[in-house]
Amino acid sequence: MGRYIVRRLLQMFLVLFVVSLLTFATMRAVPGGPFSTEKNLPPRALAQLEAKYNLDEPLYMQYLHYMGDIAIPRLTENRLPPSVLNDYLINIYIPGIDKTLRWMNFGPSYKSVSQTVNSIIKNTLPVSATLGTGALIVAVFIGIPAGIIAALKRNTRWDYAAMSVAIIGVSVPVIISGPILRYVFGVQLKWLPPTGWGSFEHMIMPAFALGFAESARLARLTRASLLQVLNEDYIRTARAKGLHERIVIGVHALKNAMIPVVTTLGPLFAFLATGSFVAELIFGIPGMGKFFVVSITNRDYPVIMGTTLLLATFVILANLFVDLVYVWLDPRIQYS
Amino acid sequence: MTATQSRQEPGKIISLAEEHRQADNLWLDALKRLARNRMAVLGLIIIFLLILTAIFAEQLAPKSYEVQVLTDNNAAPQWVIDLFPVMKSIEDGGYVKVSNNYPLGADDLGRDILSRIIYGSRISLAIAFVGPLVSMLLGVPLGLAAGFFGGRVDNIIMRIVDIFYAFPTLLIIILMMAYFRGAFNESSQAGTLGYTLYLADRAMGGMLFIFIGVGLTSWVGLARLTRGEVLSARERDYVLAARSLGATRWSIMFRHVMPNVVGPLIVAETLTIPVYIRYEAFLSFIGLGVNRPTPSWGSMISDGAQTISSYPNQAIFPAIALFLVMFAFNFLGDGLRDALDPRMRGVD
Amino acid sequence: MTGKFARFVSLTLVLVLVLSFAASTITAQEGKKVLIDANALGASDVPTLDPSLATDTSSIQVLIETNPGLTRTNEITLVTEPGMATWEVSEDGLVYTFSILPEVPWVKYNPETDAVEQVLDADGNPRYVTAEDFAFGIRRSIGGQLGSYYGGIMAGWVLNGKEVYDGTKPVEELGVKALDTYTLEITATRPAAFLPSIFGMWQAYAQPAWVIEEAGDLWTEPQYFQGYGPYTLKDWVHGESVTLIKNPFWPGTDTIPVATIDEVRLMILDQSASLANFEAGTADISQVPLADLDRIRADATLSEALYIGPSGCTYIYGINTAKPPVDDVRVRRALSMTVNRQALIDNVLKGGQTPAYFFSREDILAAAPKAADYPQYAITEDVEAAKALLQEYLDERGITLEQMEPITLMHNESEGHARIAQAIQQMWAENLGINVTIQTQEWGTYLETIKNNESAPQVFRYGWCLDYTDTHNFLYDVFHSSVRELGISWSDENAQRFDQLVEQAMSETDLQKRTDLYAEAEYLLTNASAAVIPIYFYTSLNMTQPWVTRTYSHFGQQYYEKWDIDMAAKP
Repeated sequence: MGRYIVRRLLQMFLVLFVVSLLTFATMRAVPGGPFSTEKNLPPRALAQLEAKYNLDEPLYMQYLHYMGDIAIPRLTENRLPPSVLNDYLINIYIPGIDKTLRWMNFGPSYKSVSQTVNSIIKNTLPVSATLGTGALIVAVFIGIPAGIIAALKRNTRWDYAAMSVAIIGVSVPVIISGPILRYVFGVQLKWLPPTGWGSFEHMIMPAFALGFAESARLARLTRASLLQVLNEDYIRTARAKGLHERIVIGVHALKNAMIPVVTTLGPLFAFLATGSFVAELIFGIPGMGKFFVVSITNRDYPVIMGTTLLLATFVILANLFVDLVYVWLDPRIQYS
Repeated sequence: MTATQSRQEPGKIISLAEEHRQADNLWLDALKRLARNRMAVLGLIIIFLLILTAIFAEQLAPKSYEVQVLTDNNAAPQWVIDLFPVMKSIEDGGYVKVSNNYPLGADDLGRDILSRIIYGSRISLAIAFVGPLVSMLLGVPLGLAAGFFGGRVDNIIMRIVDIFYAFPTLLIIILMMAYFRGAFNESSQAGTLGYTLYLADRAMGGMLFIFIGVGLTSWVGLARLTRGEVLSARERDYVLAARSLGATRWSIMFRHVMPNVVGPLIVAETLTIPVYIRYEAFLSFIGLGVNRPTPSWGSMISDGAQTISSYPNQAIFPAIALFLVMFAFNFLGDGLRDALDPRMRGVD
Repeated sequence: MTGKFARFVSLTLVLVLVLSFAASTITAQEGKKVLIDANALGASDVPTLDPSLATDTSSIQVLIETNPGLTRTNEITLVTEPGMATWEVSEDGLVYTFSILPEVPWVKYNPETDAVEQVLDADGNPRYVTAEDFAFGIRRSIGGQLGSYYGGIMAGWVLNGKEVYDGTKPVEELGVKALDTYTLEITATRPAAFLPSIFGMWQAYAQPAWVIEEAGDLWTEPQYFQGYGPYTLKDWVHGESVTLIKNPFWPGTDTIPVATIDEVRLMILDQSASLANFEAGTADISQVPLADLDRIRADATLSEALYIGPSGCTYIYGINTAKPPVDDVRVRRALSMTVNRQALIDNVLKGGQTPAYFFSREDILAAAPKAADYPQYAITEDVEAAKALLQEYLDERGITLEQMEPITLMHNESEGHARIAQAIQQMWAENLGINVTIQTQEWGTYLETIKNNESAPQVFRYGWCLDYTDTHNFLYDVFHSSVRELGISWSDENAQRFDQLVEQAMSETDLQKRTDLYAEAEYLLTNASAAVIPIYFYTSLNMTQPWVTRTYSHFGQQYYEKWDIDMAAKP
C-alpha cells in the first residue's frame, strides 16, 4: 500500500505537468491579452509591461521560465528586494552559508498589480476551503440520511418525499437559491447578514445554498447504492444470522454502499474548496472562485495557471484519498 | 464473441439458445418491472411530452419567442402577482404592470415567458441528452476497463481522468467561441471545417461549443464512478465463481460485472443532467451562454435571477420547467435501476 | 449507531459554534462615525492603488481621497478648483506655477495603535508633501517605464513628455521642476484651457519615493501605503473591501475640508448584493440594479433614497465604415435615424438616461455642445426619411433588401448590453426591414475584434467615460485620426475636416467658439458621416440611507470629506 501511494504521488507530478502544458497552450491561444483594455495602451507602454513580465520572449521560453520558477529551488540572498516577482512559497534559511533556499514562485498577477498568485491563494484559499467544507457538511448531512430513508422505505411516500426534496435541491441552481435566501433571511427577516465573510453567520446561507444543491446527488446515490447492497448475499446472511437490523444496515450495508458516494465526494470537495464563483458573487465572499473566473476574462496568465494547478493538485489528492477509502470500505478491493 | 466462446467451454451447462432466451426474458422482465413502477411511468410520460413540446414548439407556443412589445416589459398576469407575495400591481400601489396577455408574464423586453420556455426546451433537452450520451459512450467503457483490468490500464486511464478533471473547461469554451465566432464572418472561407462549425454553432443558437465543452468534461466523473463500482464488483463471489468456471474476461465483464454496477451509474447519470443545464446557466451568468434572442432555460434562469427580488416569476417558471425534467429523469432513472437490477427479479 | 451518530453531530455543532465565536470579533467602536458604501467599487477587486498605474474608477476613487492632486474638479459644478495647490499660468499659457499647501504631512495607518500617524524621515522630522513629491510622481508616471496608460496621456502635454515616455530623452529633461520646497513648475507643450484639469489627474499625484524604493511594487499594500489626503488607507481585503480612515493631520482647505466621518468602508459587491445590503440596513450607500428600478420607484422608502444624476459617459454603437453595406453613409444614417432612443430609455434602460444625438457628454464636459442647441447639426429620428435613404441606396446598387449584405451587431457579453442590442435589433427590423444578427463575445476577445478594421463587425457597442471634464477628452482623444484605433475606419473628407476642427478647438480660448467648433465636429461624426450612432448619456444611480448627508458627484468619484452620517438615526 505504501508503495502504491508513493507511486501515485509521483504520477501526480506527471499529471500536473500535462495539465500545465495544456492550460498554457490553451490560454495563450485564446485571443486578447492581459493588457488589452478599452482605451488603447501606447505601444511603448505595452512593450514595458511585456518586458516586466517576460512576455516578450518566445512562447516556449515563457513556459520554461514559468515552470522553472515553480519547480527549481533557488539559492538566494537572505533579503530579496520586495517585489511581486520575488514571492516564493517556500523560503528556507540555511545558516551555514547564510543564504535562503527558495522554491515555488507562481508569478505575479498582471491585473492585481500588488498581488502574486501565492498571495492570492494565501488570502482566498482559506476562505473557499472553509466555505467548501461547510457546504460539504450540509450536503452530507442532508443527502446521506435522506438517501438511507428513501432506500429503507423504498417506493413509499417517504421515499418519494425525500427524493422530491432532493430533486428540488438539484434543480434550483445557486443563481436562484442564493438571491432568494439572501432576500428572505438577509433582507426580510434580518436573521443573517445578507453578504460578507468573517463569521459563522456569514457562512450559513452560502454553505446551505451550495450544499443543498449537491445533497441531491448524494441522496440519490446513497439510495441506489444501498438498495443494491441490501440484496447482496452477505447482507442476507447477516440478517439470517439474526443480527439487529440497525447493525446490518449501519455497519455492513452502509459501509459498502458508500463507494459511489465517496467517489463523488472526493472531487466534489476539491471543487467546493477551490471556490464557487456564483456563490461568492451573490454573497460577497472574497474566495478563490471569483479570482479564477476573473483571471480568465482578464487573461491574467499566471493566476489562471496557478489556480488551475492548485485545483488539479486538489483533485488528484482527493481522488487518491478516495481510492484509499475504497479499500477500507470494501476490503476485497486491492491495488496491485 | 462471448457466446461462441462460452458455448465451447466444457462444463458449461447453458446452451446458446438458452442464453438468448434468458437474455430476452431479462429485458422483457425489466420492461415489465418498469411498467409496474408508477413513478417511472409518470417520468417517462413527462419526458415524452417534453420531447413533443420541443418538436412542436412552433405550434404550441402562443407567441413568438423573440418579438418584443417593449411597453409590456415585465408585465405579469394577475394570478402570478397573487402567487408571489413580493409582487404588487400598479393598481395596488406596486410596480407590476398587469397584463393577462401573457400566461406566465413577460420578460424585461416584453416577450412572452411561456413561449420562451417552450422554445427553450429545445436547447435544454438537447443539453440534457448530449451530456449523458457522451459520458455513457466514453466514461462507462473507460471506467469499466480501468476497474476491471486494473494495473497499468487503470493507471493510464485514471491519470487521463485526472487531467480532464482539473483542466479548466471555461478556457476551452472561450477559446472555441473566440476562434470560431471571431475568425469566421459571413463572407469567405466557405467549405472549410471551421466555417462549417461556425455555421453549425450559429444554427444551434451558439450552443455547439457549449455542447463540446460539456462533452469534454462530462465523462470523467462517470468513468471514475464506474471504475469504483467495478473495483468492488469484480471481487464479489459471483464473479469469482464465474472466473473459476472458466468464463472469459469479456464475458465476465459484460455479463457479470456490468449488470451489477449499472444501477448507481444510471442514477448518477440522471443526476448529472441538471448539472449540465446548471453549467449552461452558469455560462450565461458569466456571459458566455447562448446567442440572444435564442431562449434556453439556463439563460432564462440566469437572466431572471437578476430581477428575482422584483419579478421572481421570470426565474422561477423556467426553474419549475427544469424541476419537471429533473423529476421525470430521476424517477425514470430509479425505475430503470430497479428494473435492471438482476437481483430484483422476483422481489416485487 | 444512533448514539454514536448523535455524539458526532453534537460534537461537530459545538466545534462549529466555537469557531464562529472565535471568528466574529468585529466590533464597532462607540461614537465612531462609520459609513458603508457599496456603490464605489463594483463587483471585482480594485486593480491597483498605484497612481501611475490606475486606470479604472475604483482605483481612482480611493486615490482621490488618499492622495489629492494639485487641482481638483468640483464634483457638482465640475469647475477645476485648487486641490493641494493654487496655480498661476504664464502669459503664453505654457508655464504653470503651482504653490503647494505647506506642511501637509505624509501619514500612515498603524494597526497596532489603531491610529493614523505622521511619517517621520531618518532624522525623526515629519515628512511633508513637497513639490519634489509631485515632481517624482509625474516623472515616475511618464518616465518610469511602468507601462503607465495615463502617463502616456500626460506625456503629450508636458514638455519633452513624449520623448521621455519613449525613452529617447532622459527623465531629467521632462518639463517638471520643483522650484523650492512648495513650488512646482510644469511646462506644457502647448496652451489649452483644460490643462489645470489634466495636471490634477491621478498620474500627477504626489508619491512617496522612499516607500516605493523600500517596498517595490508592493508599496500599495496597506502595510506600506502612505497618503496625505483627508483620508488614508486603513485596510484592503482583496476582493472584499477597501477601508479608508480619516486623516487627523489633514489641515482642511476651502475645497477639501476636514472629514467628519471617521471611517469609510468601500465594499466590493455586485449590484443586487449591494441592494440587498441596503434594504437590510447593512449598507449606507448602494448601487441600483436596473432590474429593480420599478420596484424601488414604487416603494415609499426606497424611492426616497433613490437619486439619479448625470454621469460622464456616453453609450454608442460604432460603425466599421469599411464594411458593406455600412460603407455607405445613407445606410449608416438610416440606422441611426431609426433608433428610438426615448423608447429604449423608457422601457429598457429605465434609469432616467438622456437620449444622445452627439457623442460628447453634454452638461458635464466643458465646451460640449448640446444637440438641442444645434438642431441644424443633430441627427433626427425620422423613420420615413430613413426608409427613403435606404431605398435610394438599394436602387442605386440595383438590389433588393434581401440581397443586401447581412449586418452583424456585436457586443461584449453582459445582460444590459444584450437587452439594448435586442431592442435595437427589433427597431431596425420593424422600421427598415433589416434583420441584423447579434453576436456576443467575451470581453478580452471582443476588444481584440473591434480594435481591428478587418475583424470589426459592421456595428459594435462601445462606451466612453471622461478622464477630465473637457470635450477634448471625447472628440479628440477618441476620434482624432492620430489616436483612433477602434474598428471605426472613417476616412472620408469629413474625417479630415473633423481633425482640423478638433485641433482648432484645442487651442481656442473662447468657450462659445470652442463649443461651436465642437458642434460642427459632432455634426460630421454623428450626422454627415454617421460614423457612430450615439445612443444615450449615462446617469449615475445612487441609493442613500436617510441618515447620510452627502453630495452627489457628477463624474464618478465621491468626496467623502464633504459627507456626514448621523449614527444615532441609524437603526
